[in-house]
Amino acid sequence: MRQVNLTSKDITENPSAATELTDREWAPCRYNCPVHADVRLYLEHIAQGRWRESIDTIRRHLPFAGVCGRVCHHPCEANCRRKDVDSAVAIRELKRFVAELQGASGATVHRAARQDKARVAIVGGGPAGMSGSLELAKLGYRPTVFERSPRAGGIPATAIPEYRLPRGVIQIDVDWICAHGVDLVTGTAIGRDKSVDQLRKEGFQAVLIATGLSSGKDIPIPGAPPDGVLGALEFLTDLGMGRRPRIGQDVLVIGGGNVAVDAARSAVRIGAGRVRMMCLETREEMPAFEWEQREAEEEGISFIHRRGPAEAITANGRMAGIKARRVTRVFDENKRFDPQYDDSDLIEAACDTLIIAIGQSPDYGFLNGSALRLDARGRLEYGPATCQTNVPDVFACGEIVTPPGSVVEACASGQRAARAMDMYLSGGHIVLDDSLPPFIGQIPTATAEKVRKVIRQPVAAQPPEVRRANSQEVDHTYVESAALREARRCMSCGAGAEVLVDKCAACLTCLRVCPFDIPVVTDVARIDSDRCQSCGICIAECPANAIVSRSLEAGWIARRTAAALEALRGAGPRIVVYLCGHTASAAQWRGEEQSSDGTAEVCLPSLSALSALDLLKAFENGADTVLVVTPQDSVERYPQAVKRLRKRLAQARKMLKEIGLKRTRIQLFELTRPSRTAVRETIAAAADQLRAGPIKPIGATR
Amino acid sequence: MIVGERKPMDEILAMLEPHRRVLVLGCGGCVTVCLSGGEKQADELASQLRLAARKKGRQLTVDVDCITRQCDREFVANLKCNPSDYDAVLSIACGAGVGFMSELYPQTPFLPGLNTTFYGACTANGIWQEYCYGCGDCVLAWTGGICPIARCSKGLINGACGGTNKGKCEVSSEMDCAWHLIYERLEAAGRLDELRKIRPPRDWRLDRSGGLRRLVHEELVDEEARK
Repeated sequence: MRQVNLTSKDITENPSAATELTDREWAPCRYNCPVHADVRLYLEHIAQGRWRESIDTIRRHLPFAGVCGRVCHHPCEANCRRKDVDSAVAIRELKRFVAELQGASGATVHRAARQDKARVAIVGGGPAGMSGSLELAKLGYRPTVFERSPRAGGIPATAIPEYRLPRGVIQIDVDWICAHGVDLVTGTAIGRDKSVDQLRKEGFQAVLIATGLSSGKDIPIPGAPPDGVLGALEFLTDLGMGRRPRIGQDVLVIGGGNVAVDAARSAVRIGAGRVRMMCLETREEMPAFEWEQREAEEEGISFIHRRGPAEAITANGRMAGIKARRVTRVFDENKRFDPQYDDSDLIEAACDTLIIAIGQSPDYGFLNGSALRLDARGRLEYGPATCQTNVPDVFACGEIVTPPGSVVEACASGQRAARAMDMYLSGGHIVLDDSLPPFIGQIPTATAEKVRKVIRQPVAAQPPEVRRANSQEVDHTYVESAALREARRCMSCGAGAEVLVDKCAACLTCLRVCPFDIPVVTDVARIDSDRCQSCGICIAECPANAIVSRSLEAGWIARRTAAALEALRGAGPRIVVYLCGHTASAAQWRGEEQSSDGTAEVCLPSLSALSALDLLKAFENGADTVLVVTPQDSVERYPQAVKRLRKRLAQARKMLKEIGLKRTRIQLFELTRPSRTAVRETIAAAADQLRAGPIKPIGATR
Repeated sequence: MIVGERKPMDEILAMLEPHRRVLVLGCGGCVTVCLSGGEKQADELASQLRLAARKKGRQLTVDVDCITRQCDREFVANLKCNPSDYDAVLSIACGAGVGFMSELYPQTPFLPGLNTTFYGACTANGIWQEYCYGCGDCVLAWTGGICPIARCSKGLINGACGGTNKGKCEVSSEMDCAWHLIYERLEAAGRLDELRKIRPPRDWRLDRSGGLRRLVHEELVDEEARK
């Protein structure tokens, strides 16, 4: 348990002190994301149907939101704490949903007020280079990206098959990045069409090399006729560029990674009769994602494990198959890749086309006409601490200098290099701070057992027989209702309660009301962030106002209510509605702030945090009547929340009665099926009734 | 701890009738623990007062403050609002807090928002019960921990009286007979012999009839304070 001694003074001096704690201690989804996207926050936005805020939150850290929504290896999901309750939140699918919902125009462009710092050149328009250029543009530089191929996006744009990543999705990301004042020059290869030195002469004050791994690795297959062997990357790029590579009817793909699976599945789609994959690894050892293997199998692809090609078999000068030897081990004792073979154990595998997919290698063409050097191991000279090459004004990022990784890792690498370039161009030392805040630990079993289980929303996929025949995407995205349901599974890790130690009277109320048995009272109440489920019940009940929320600033409900009442037009009764944003995001649907029924609506992440005082404050702020619309207990995400809410409403009604105000000024609606329509109808009916009845404003002063 | 209960609203409103500028002052001690006089209750009460005033078309300014304890001079330094700036302070501390603060601010009326009810403990969520009367001469050693001063209608120390009736007191059939409870507790503990002893009369001078009670820890007393 991590102990933060927050005091009321901290909050007074800085009203965001508690909410900043969510930045000082991250949820594991954010911590493990290479660009550290604020996953918890954007899932909360999605859960409330606030699409635009959601995509803006994603893009604040992740420029390739669209691409990553399709192909990310999603370490966020792998580390989602929900997996210890039922199953991880489908974060990638949700990202895909919002990223593609409204295209590039759906996300806000925060263009720098001025881009009058230096001109900078970026060599390579893949995820690393484009992310670096965006970061530089935001910092006030004028970046120009030089991309060799006819379109930006890198491997995702050229070699990831359409069925996994449609081109339009990449374009959303590229367009959004370019809208920040990033110039894109395609069809220009640095080292061929112009050199790094020429760029400098043209006035670029720094260069970022981000060319990635753009060539396929080759292995010699003795005796193989050249027309029978294809490189996977070239094969996929041809397909991606709309060309139709010639393959036979019996395809054998060598390799066990994701590119190999892409090549095999693409071969199926362009009409190969039989497609098989041969790899050194066992099924478990294969680097390809498990779901990729599964989907490949569904499409009729079979695997030959633990075999490596030895030589080609030809018939009449044409490829007829290969002889493959048995693999005795893939990795050495130190888990380094070091395959060993038993040459006496050979099998024959027939094929008329062999596709080699054993990895990618860099293309060092950009070295021409520059002072850039390779090191003794044949790699670009590069200092990871500063992102600089041997030439101080030339930086590098992405797979040209890092181990092969995924799109999101390339984005992170580009952003880091951009920060280094900014330091360099500002005349300072390059000191990159790579430190991260601590992250929330595993959810203890006792707590996990108390969390209500919610089944992960499945994603519909095209049936294998359909997808074999075309290149359309395999998975369907979520429909709106499923996206809302799925986002609402997020447990808001680390966004929960925080005790103000100077105010806590150790009264034990928090401990007594917590439905998850989280608080302990030692010197004062201590609420373990590893365990807190962020329901807010303790905040509403604490008699000392000593508990604050990390996600909802103190006084937020009252301020929001006042603003909603302020915006209310018309002469009718002034009705405030408190809604659970997770079940009834009606008011702010598509991010719209106004209320549709002439009522002042306030959406909360959950009504469990709504206190009796909040209700009184609503009247003070000018409400004549307050409606509270909650899902009933069986559909509310926090146990006991509805029971507590009822009691608090009763308490508030009693307080009204004490001062001569009718108890009916506070009304509670518990909805069995809290759909958006049901919520809207409930509010409309209640409002109509109130308008018909004699609800008088409180006092004569208004 | 000291338990207090909010006064009826009508009484509070009547007390505040002559005042236009009021500070509701919470206490972070016992009355926070029993959910009657904490900062949140001060906020709620202030909100009620503002609404009540609006309803009647009265001008009333109500602010809120809360300190760790109203019964200790040093915490007064933490006040964010100066009591002297108000027509009256509605204190929702126990009587000790109200009295002590009145002494510190003799020019400002400190009005009690609570009735200080008893020394008690929390027996279940939201329920506090009296355990002690503060009589100054504790007898719990031989009553099985059940206080006959607090619980027996007659405050007997050699009970039960003739009015005990199937476990209930003759005063009310709703009321448990304290001495019946004591008997059962001691019987269960195998200590009924305690009741064979006749207890001599108590020293009632130690109760409030002996005048203002004081606790003095000599080792900490400054000579000046003694005067």
